[in-house]
Amino acid sequence: MALLQIAEPGQSPVPHQVKLAVGIDLGTTNSLVASVRGGRATVLPDEQGSAMLPSVVNYSQAEASRVGRAAQALAAEHPADTLVSVKRFMGRGRDDAAGDAARAYYHLADDDTGMVRFITSVGEISPVEASAEILKVLHRRAVDTLGNELDGAVITVPAYFDEAQRQATKDAATLAGLKVLRLLNEPTAAAVAYGLDSAEQGVIAVYDLGGGTFDISILRLHRGVFEVLATGGDTALGGDDFDAAIADWVLQQLAAPELAPGNYRQLQTRARSAKEQLSTNDSTSISLQGLLPEGGAIDLTRAEFESLIQPLVKQTLRACRRCLRDAELADTVDNVVMVGGSTRVPMVREAVGEFFQREPLLDIDPDQVVAVGAAIQADILVGNRPEGDLLLLDVIPLSLGLETMGGLVEKIIPRNTTIPVTRAQEFTTFKDGQTALAVHIVQGERELVSDSRSLARFELRGIPPMVAGAARILVTFQVDADGLLNVAAREETTGVESSVTVKPSFGLSDGEISGMLQASFSHAEEDKQARQRAEHRLEAQQLLEGLEAALAADGDELLSPDECAELHGLMQQLRLAMEGQDVSTLKAGTEQLGKASEDFAARRMDKSIRQALAGVSLDALDDEVSE
Amino acid sequence: MAFPDFKQNYFELFSLPVQFAVDSALLGEHYRQLQQELHPDRYASAPAQQQRVAVQYSALVNQAYATLNKPLARALYLLELAGMSQEQISAEPVDGGFLIEQMELREKLESLHDLVDPDTVLDHLVTEISADIRAHQAEFATSYAAGDLDAAASACVKMQYLEKLLLEAEQIESELMDKV
Repeated sequence: MALLQIAEPGQSPVPHQVKLAVGIDLGTTNSLVASVRGGRATVLPDEQGSAMLPSVVNYSQAEASRVGRAAQALAAEHPADTLVSVKRFMGRGRDDAAGDAARAYYHLADDDTGMVRFITSVGEISPVEASAEILKVLHRRAVDTLGNELDGAVITVPAYFDEAQRQATKDAATLAGLKVLRLLNEPTAAAVAYGLDSAEQGVIAVYDLGGGTFDISILRLHRGVFEVLATGGDTALGGDDFDAAIADWVLQQLAAPELAPGNYRQLQTRARSAKEQLSTNDSTSISLQGLLPEGGAIDLTRAEFESLIQPLVKQTLRACRRCLRDAELADTVDNVVMVGGSTRVPMVREAVGEFFQREPLLDIDPDQVVAVGAAIQADILVGNRPEGDLLLLDVIPLSLGLETMGGLVEKIIPRNTTIPVTRAQEFTTFKDGQTALAVHIVQGERELVSDSRSLARFELRGIPPMVAGAARILVTFQVDADGLLNVAAREETTGVESSVTVKPSFGLSDGEISGMLQASFSHAEEDKQARQRAEHRLEAQQLLEGLEAALAADGDELLSPDECAELHGLMQQLRLAMEGQDVSTLKAGTEQLGKASEDFAARRMDKSIRQALAGVSLDALDDEVSE
Repeated sequence: MAFPDFKQNYFELFSLPVQFAVDSALLGEHYRQLQQELHPDRYASAPAQQQRVAVQYSALVNQAYATLNKPLARALYLLELAGMSQEQISAEPVDGGFLIEQMELREKLESLHDLVDPDTVLDHLVTEISADIRAHQAEFATSYAAGDLDAAASACVKMQYLEKLLLEAEQIESELMDKV
């Protein structure tokens, strides 16, 4: 076999030139960037001195999106335009994400295929684009602080992220103009941050409970080599759920009616600060000012809070137990590392300490430890350390399999297999003269395809016609060091290389990515016009939808047939204008219909006031009973 | 740097004797040494083509390590090196007593869902299956060392049965976990 000449590992083309590399923790609630400077890894703060960037993007302002605290400030006013916790939606399909979206008051675009997209004032936004906005801010911060363009970045992902979620994260980084050196699992990054300080040997458990995701990893550190033995977790469980538990409890206690979207967001924010208070205090008070007409406050004790989150904490411990077993340890865990803001909750620390029989390590700020570890790894990958003293051997978190006859899954690469990994599987044809073969790749531990996560479907084409069963098609699955899957296929008897087109089930195609990249480079004026158009279109749509509902409810009662016909005519005109490209026609149509319907709106208001003043009539009571 | 010769068998790759008993500390040591040299992280700043080569070699070393590290995979690999095919191994007869035992274990597993305290029974079953697997590993080692490949293959088939059972037990355990 001819061997390729490869440069000495860790040797950069220009010796002694330090390259600029960063580690980025793209978190559900907060994101951070860190870098190794003068031999020490530190987080990079913004101009105000704060390292944490809230992972919030707001699209209500036509001129530009806002990220971080500026976006947070607009959240209550524009709930549907303010995307929080987008990480929860990365790489997920519409059906999968609908529940989470409803809870967060997002509007999702109607689309049966592909990743979810949020409908905002500036048009449809994918979680990848929103994440890219966050990454852009951190990218800029790093360039400003370090004084030059970056040579590369390590972006962290939850260990339990599946293929689609990883790909989505990488796409977001590409969109933000970052050169991705590696996607690194968050718990592994945390272990690196601790491991370098202690430089010892032993088994480490990393318990990572963030805002929206939970990860558990068991690693073995052995003379600079980190070997991940097993990993597990839940990509939809985190501190957000603690907040939601408190918020729901408050609503339950008050027997309160449904809150408006903005108010529910506000309640969640107050629930979060109540949670934080309870880390040090035994009880706290949640203000209801502005949420309920009568205002007031409600008390929450730590004991009550702990009983609320008990089931969630238990769920994490179950995953720990499974992970421990997967790791097939001969002896016990030496160290437990706590990662993520949610591990500040005393009950979480106690439960984890008790489970592993070890006092958890808390020396490094749990909010920063992942970014710090990622920065160290980035520094190594970019070639700044001549010795390359550290190596990470990670695993795939979920089994990769194929759909076989009868909707069953055949596992090709089991979970916790060390990456990179290559596995080949042979297929054959089942019909005479068959020239194509459909392959469906799934991820997960379940036996039925319908219970698993669909990753990709592709067709092998160009198989030479042969009798059934004669073709020998070797499909090679390769998972690289980022945990990303590549597929290649070859017909063995003839040596024909079949073309494989992998269409990601919930990702973005390469075409879409390059399209987005191009769009972001295109002229700002065009962007502005497109945004304006989208904004006006949304406004028109909202007016039409509201009016349709009002007409259905009260149209016959409050309007004459002529008035009704006039409104319907104007509505039809506006619908036509929405299909066109002319912004001014759209704007004029919206204004005209708005004016024409003002009278109708006033009459409806009168009616509801009359009803309210009259109290509940007997008829209405009857209606309620019969309903 | 020079890549190791990947035409060697997995034992040779890790400088270990071709036998069932493996010094796992030494195996781990040599595995980590190879990965220190070959892992794609060592080529993160190299051209894309070199990165791809590193991925392939690193994957091969992982495959070799996974094969030698797990007793069943190692046993099957030894038989493969001795010239036995998958089909030949699977065709090896297994005694009736073993099969009846298998059926009984399976029945116990399947009735777990109806029990009040399935966890304790499941733990007990897993311990029993694991002990059986170890017994057949010893059986394999003796037969293989004595050059009796048929008996060694038969022990492998039994291990395969039991490993599959263990996998099912784990599946049931995770179902029980999810139910809580």
